[in-house]
Amino acid sequence: MSGYILKRLLSMLPILAVVAVVVFMIVHLTPGDPAAVMLGDEAGEKEIAELRSQLGLDLPLAVQFFHWLANVLQGDLGRSYFSDVPVTQAFWEHLGPTVSVAILAQIIAILIAIPIGIMAARRRGTMIDQAVMGVSLFGISVPSFLLGLFLILLFAVQLKWLPVAGYKPLSSGLWNHLRYLILPALALGFMQAALIARMTRSSMLDIIADNYIKTARAKGLKETMVIYKHALRNACIPILTVIGETFGGLVTGAAVVETVFNIPGIGQLIISSVERRDYAVIQGTVLLITVTYVLLNLIVDLLYGIVDPRVRLNRKER
Amino acid sequence: MEKRRSLFTDSPLKKKLLPILLASVFALTACGGQTTGGHTSEGNAGSGSTSAQGNSTQAESPATGGVINIAYPAKAATLDPHTTTNASTKDIARQIFEPLVTLNSKYEVVPMLAESYEVSQDGLSITFPLRKGVKFHNGKEMTADDVVASMNKWLKVSTQGKANLSGAAFTAKDPGTVVLTLQKPSLLTLHILADTAPFPAIMPKEIIEESGVEAVKTFIGTGPFQLEEWKQDQYVHLKKYPDYASRTEASDGLGGKKEALVDDLYFHYVTDESTRVAGITTGEYDIAFSIPFDNAEQIENSPDVSSFVSEGGMTTFVFNKKSGLFSNVKARQAVNAALDIEEILISAYRDSRYYTLDSGLALPNQSDWHSQAGKEEYNQHNLDKAKQLLAESGYKGEEVTILVTRDYPDYYNAAVVAQQQLQAIGLNAKLDVYDWPTMQERRKDEKVWDFFVVGFAVRPTLHQLPFLDSRGGYPGWTNSPEIDKLLDEIQSAPSIAEAKPLVDQLQALVWQELPIIKLGNRVNMAAVANHVQGLQDVIGPILWNVSTTKK
Repeated sequence: MSGYILKRLLSMLPILAVVAVVVFMIVHLTPGDPAAVMLGDEAGEKEIAELRSQLGLDLPLAVQFFHWLANVLQGDLGRSYFSDVPVTQAFWEHLGPTVSVAILAQIIAILIAIPIGIMAARRRGTMIDQAVMGVSLFGISVPSFLLGLFLILLFAVQLKWLPVAGYKPLSSGLWNHLRYLILPALALGFMQAALIARMTRSSMLDIIADNYIKTARAKGLKETMVIYKHALRNACIPILTVIGETFGGLVTGAAVVETVFNIPGIGQLIISSVERRDYAVIQGTVLLITVTYVLLNLIVDLLYGIVDPRVRLNRKER
Repeated sequence: MEKRRSLFTDSPLKKKLLPILLASVFALTACGGQTTGGHTSEGNAGSGSTSAQGNSTQAESPATGGVINIAYPAKAATLDPHTTTNASTKDIARQIFEPLVTLNSKYEVVPMLAESYEVSQDGLSITFPLRKGVKFHNGKEMTADDVVASMNKWLKVSTQGKANLSGAAFTAKDPGTVVLTLQKPSLLTLHILADTAPFPAIMPKEIIEESGVEAVKTFIGTGPFQLEEWKQDQYVHLKKYPDYASRTEASDGLGGKKEALVDDLYFHYVTDESTRVAGITTGEYDIAFSIPFDNAEQIENSPDVSSFVSEGGMTTFVFNKKSGLFSNVKARQAVNAALDIEEILISAYRDSRYYTLDSGLALPNQSDWHSQAGKEEYNQHNLDKAKQLLAESGYKGEEVTILVTRDYPDYYNAAVVAQQQLQAIGLNAKLDVYDWPTMQERRKDEKVWDFFVVGFAVRPTLHQLPFLDSRGGYPGWTNSPEIDKLLDEIQSAPSIAEAKPLVDQLQALVWQELPIIKLGNRVNMAAVANHVQGLQDVIGPILWNVSTTKK
């Protein structure tokens, strides 16, 4: 097991190297100048040049890249040009809100998706199946920010049940924390639910047709037992894959929803940094996101073994 | 100086889609029977005054206490106003810090931390006796040493100090008096010292010395509010400073009596404009700045909220005078003759309440600088004259590039209409559209554009408009020795009154030489809950003397 984990971790290195080079080149070749942004529009060319030199932005691109790379290899992702805090600190400060929303969104998604996915599979071809599939198609198609705006309109503006936007940390109380997260989590969770429900349905359909399910039914087991104990567990691997991938997407790619709901998460950090041309933060954050994504995938792979003993056995045989 | 909302960090995608979507969903639900208050706040776009309309006039005996939550669109990199001209820094810092002199509602210089000021006969020194009993937020009393340290750092690090007051220095005459010594007399010095960004905030000497030439990290001022907490990228929390020493004259603009009437001010960074609009209509925020004009109607129809307009500066077309067609003044005059300015502004600002047609480089209520000279050249919409001038310029049908950003829909809409109007005189105009930072970068290259659309914020003097002086090197590269000479003559005039004829000459010359075409003055729009009273604006919001009846 530990050998497998080590191998997976080592396989991250080429991915990180490619990401580092690509991100560095993209951000530095994009027009715009962090020095001009920081000094304000009134700054003259001389002042901007002075600040560029202070920040090391006047060096040749290759030199800048190797300076940055050398620091990254020593664990130093640099400091934000804009706010002068270390990139890792900025990342950690913004990670909390993102993870909170992602977890809640994922819980909502699973709670909605798995029961309706199973229901659709059990009643395949009926109106219920078609309705579930129709709604989930809608869920996949509708942009999350649009859904977010409708949720704001309904639950915050009209009904005034929940706040429009913002974020309160867990330290301000659990309900206060959750109150601000419910709408963004719903907006994000709905799309994830659609994906998971579709996967649950198709995976369950495969399993339900298997002989051992027929055997279980023939033994006279209760239908709920057959479905939830025998079928669902075996249908879990593809569902888990989708859940893992979508969770990675939630942690790393909720930028628009974070902006609509004004959640100071990773997505907002990246958007602000791109607008400010804060190269150090963009590069560092994208690298850290890559690491997070790869680690999440690794965790999902490890979970396969827990859910399905056959995966563990196969590895031992290898 | 350019309009500083450039840092209001809405992304172009959201800018385009979200207001439309939110406006349409709000419109849909309004059809569902939502009641509307029916009151409309009167904009002040026509009057040119700086104060708020609608609900925001000062109550007779304002309420005290309470909290005001503000939705603010742009995040600040620092709260040190010496080091940047960004509005996101200035708007918060002005509540915490104070300068020696400041601006009243007519943009005239009035003393703030200085008791008064006296300019010497030769104009080479200005003496500022300091007010007594003024305490910093750390409890220490302000002395001449603090002022000298702060002002000398500002002279050294700020764009204004470096550009306009080179060689100047502050010294302490005694613990209660400072003296500014200048290399050459200038009519503008006091206006520069009273400017709002980068404004010369007075801070304790120790903090200034500790910071060197960098921005300070500890924010201790003398203002009516003190910094309680700054949560990077989330919010800034200011608290009433109980020992604030106020001036006694009546409040006027940034000058006169200042009183923190509320206990707490929160500036929440809300970069998404739809979220600011939704937040103010639900009561989540009490004030929301930078409201899109598309949402004006919605705000005005909301029973608990009023719109608040303030002077937003001017919108302009800046020509490339260094290279291409518009290096020829005839071609610039052809464009100026062709434009139907009203049509451009209505498409940019939706409603005539949100702009004014005005040819002056200064606002009408900037009494020291406003001039109507040359106005006959403004808004001509004379296509025959335009075609003739274009022919005289030797134009051969080459492509003319209008550089613009969609990050600010008003600039973009103005450019689209201008493109059509210019095509009507046979000018082969095309739009080149980028995000704002890219546009800033591209306009440095004289080979790739012919004119760009941009706004300039209100400035205390004409000299601070960066496009006038050839020596400034501002993109567009004005090259007019006559304009430079007039700028110098105004600066060395003995008094504002004696400079007035020169200001008229300058204004007329600008309409002949056309380094830019001024389209008009625009407003900034905010939304204010009806329980908030007394909001004012002079080149940014004034949050002292503002009260709330919500507890």
